[in-house]
Amino acid sequence: MDTQELIRTNPLRVLGIDKIEASGRGLGLVMARAGLGKTAILVQIALDAMMRGQNVLHVAIGESLDKTRERYDDILAMMAADLPDETRTALARQRMIMTFKENVFSRAIFEERLTDMIQQNVFQPHCLIIDGYDFSDESRPAMEELKQLMATLQISVAWLSAVCHREDPRISSDGIPAPCHAIADLFEAALLINPADNVMNLDIIKCSFCQVTPGTALRLDPSTMLIQRS
Amino acid sequence: MQRDLSKVRNIGISAHIDSGKTTLTERILFYTQRIHAIHEVRGKDGVGAKMDSMELEKERGITIQSAATYCTWKDIDINIIDTPGHVDFTIEVERALRVLDGAILVLCSVGGVQSQSITVSRQMARYNVPRIAFINKCDRTGANPQRVTRQLREKLGLNAHLLQLPIGLEGDFTGVVDLISMKALYFDGDSGENVREDEIPPEMMEEAETRREELLEEISMFSEELMEAVLEGGDIDNGLIMAAVRKGTLALEFTPVLVGSAYKNKGIQPLLDAVESYLPCPTDVTNYALDLDREETEFKVTNDSKEPLIMLAFKLEDGRYGQLTYVRTYQGALNKGDTVFNSRTGKKVKIGRLVRMHADEMEEIDGCGSGDIVALFGIDCASGDTFTADGISASMTSMQVPEPVISLAVLPTDNKAQTNMSKALNRFTKEDPTFRTYVDHETGETIISGMGELHLDVYIERMKREYKAEVEVGAPQVAYRETISSRADFDYTHKKQTGGSGQFGRVAGYLEPLDEGEYEFVDQIVGGAIPREFISSCDKGFQKSLEKGTLCGAAVTGVRAVINDGAAHSVDSSDVAFQLAAVGGFKEAYTRARPVIMEPIMKVAVEGPTEFQGGVMGSLNQRRGMIIGTTEEGNYTVVEAEVPLSEMFGYSTTLRSLTQGKAEFTMEFATFKQVPKSVSEELIKKYQDEKKNN
Repeated sequence: MDTQELIRTNPLRVLGIDKIEASGRGLGLVMARAGLGKTAILVQIALDAMMRGQNVLHVAIGESLDKTRERYDDILAMMAADLPDETRTALARQRMIMTFKENVFSRAIFEERLTDMIQQNVFQPHCLIIDGYDFSDESRPAMEELKQLMATLQISVAWLSAVCHREDPRISSDGIPAPCHAIADLFEAALLINPADNVMNLDIIKCSFCQVTPGTALRLDPSTMLIQRS
Repeated sequence: MQRDLSKVRNIGISAHIDSGKTTLTERILFYTQRIHAIHEVRGKDGVGAKMDSMELEKERGITIQSAATYCTWKDIDINIIDTPGHVDFTIEVERALRVLDGAILVLCSVGGVQSQSITVSRQMARYNVPRIAFINKCDRTGANPQRVTRQLREKLGLNAHLLQLPIGLEGDFTGVVDLISMKALYFDGDSGENVREDEIPPEMMEEAETRREELLEEISMFSEELMEAVLEGGDIDNGLIMAAVRKGTLALEFTPVLVGSAYKNKGIQPLLDAVESYLPCPTDVTNYALDLDREETEFKVTNDSKEPLIMLAFKLEDGRYGQLTYVRTYQGALNKGDTVFNSRTGKKVKIGRLVRMHADEMEEIDGCGSGDIVALFGIDCASGDTFTADGISASMTSMQVPEPVISLAVLPTDNKAQTNMSKALNRFTKEDPTFRTYVDHETGETIISGMGELHLDVYIERMKREYKAEVEVGAPQVAYRETISSRADFDYTHKKQTGGSGQFGRVAGYLEPLDEGEYEFVDQIVGGAIPREFISSCDKGFQKSLEKGTLCGAAVTGVRAVINDGAAHSVDSSDVAFQLAAVGGFKEAYTRARPVIMEPIMKVAVEGPTEFQGGVMGSLNQRRGMIIGTTEEGNYTVVEAEVPLSEMFGYSTTLRSLTQGKAEFTMEFATFKQVPKSVSEELIKKYQDEKKNN
């Protein structure tokens, strides 16, 4: 299977991801309780962007570089085991991983590193993946600043992961659970990993650019964590 | 001679360069009374540390060849292999790990877990070596053992926990608190030789109790008895705690962490106690050999000295007393005068002298039992050979040997140097499988190749110093490879009829890329189109063709040569005729098989203060590097990238000026990748020009 085929058949097409990117400063959100596979979803979103020629900066907070890289290798191998080595190498060139310890990460440091990297002509990302960001009730200014930074640095989309908790019932009017309920308006798209019985549903809880009826569920293969159409 | 193997420890000491492991080994030898005075690595007394026996090591202050030594702590026999910290000498580290049962991972309390520690830890994991960590240099400014312990967990993924707390740090470092015995330990006397047990300083009591609780919670996972005792509360027997720590360590699920300062003579004796208590003895480790009579099926060696002998030669050294072969016995006993068999060569070998090594000094012994590490004299063998008793056909698992990535030409200055250089190269290639040498038939130059610039530098220095071989050295060259990217047919007839007996041979078949391995020859001839006696001639011809590709003159790898037709002449066909026909066939198909040039790609990790991150990334980018990512931790960042080796020459100078000498980098071979078109064209042009000029 070549990358064009992978792009065409990717279940993420229902989200109209390219339109979120075209909107300029789109923010996307992947939510789930701890340990359900948010990173696997983010990596698939990133790989789709890379296959479409976008440069992806993956920011991993509290995760090691090797482990993050392995995630990409494993998921790509599961998506297309027969992808030629040259294609894999070319894809890897479109990705950079930046890891931070939880206690080291701050918006100021991130902004400094990102700006430095772009100004030094090292890497110009089009898509940001931010995994492990600790959302709190005071996240609105941070997210607004992120949008501002994206506009300045010409980054078209950022996908973030957020941990929700069963015991926190707060929810936004469009269905985004806490801790992101109060900033739901800042996101163009939100996905929720929702396990039910033996099925891992990937609910599209918000999607400004969806090409299918909102509420349509995607599903995760529990053994590979690859996204599938329901 | 049956020894109590529970009282034997074969351990290695591995770490990042400059973590102080040679100093630590020196102190261990002092406290175990193997030496009676302490000398520093770069000592002002001009003696140098005991383990750095090579002159060059003393001069550079780094450990290049791992010297083996033996000492006794209480009633435990400890064999220590001191291993090099520089990644260029990784084969030494790997060899040591192959024969060791456990290891001490030395870390600097300031530098913490650096990139080389990660490489070493990966190697330890590959060989399932249980380890204890020793956080050294607690007397240094900026010492932070807690941070280093966290790094052990986060960077190396080890379940690491402190068994001790430092009493004071930096200039105030005076001793350690043992969290198992809940006592303070101080190291009195001129050289810290008197361990004094005392009460824990009151201001540390609360922290010590909290840490002990955390420790007990963690290790109670390894012992139900301990878990019950913890749940019940009250006093807990120290033996119970130590047994749980040992169990977790041997299962590679727990890493005990100790602290100290070798230079200040603090914390070494408890470390030796920990070697005894937590690292495995030979019977705790399962080792396997390959049965050569049963298609190399694995079988477990028994560790029993009464069983027939199986031992591995893991290191050769050419010392002042002749060739020394370091061996590890895995089964059976070895005595002076015994006759053993080399499994590789099938030759009988008589054991003359048997010694225990103590750096460059030795102690004659009459024999050794299973699980021991000793050295033999006058044995002709290569590193990695297995010796067995008569009637056993076994080999210890072969070690992974990486392909060399860099080469350079060496030219002896006169005839005497030529003879000495040959002797030296012969020795080095036997000692070190990653060091290779060959003569370039076209230029007549002797080429040496290895794992990095420093690796080759050291051998050139050794040639000069130990063998008095004065040589001129060419510029380092990258070991490029050529390979084919598609299948191509050939049908070639070699015919020569110029008086005398003629030459005739026709070979037909195809070349195709080989996914794994360097070369494969497939004979699909049916009906005797090529007589059987000339099939191997075809194979030889192809192998000759692989020595030098036509693009840039590099060795050709990854090729399957298949012959499926041919023809012979009853009088004119010969071995030479078919070899030449195969060479012709190879040439014919090679250019059509879309050959490409491959170059070694190195995994480079640069560690330095965060303020230089952008500059470092830029410098790697300029060198055709692919930045994999960055890891930010406090005030320093690690940038990891994959960079072609050809672009890394002189990088240390660039990095030094770029970061005011505050950053360092390590580099290890990652893979071979096809060179970009522009580079390929340049290499082809250069090769063509060279050919024209010759």
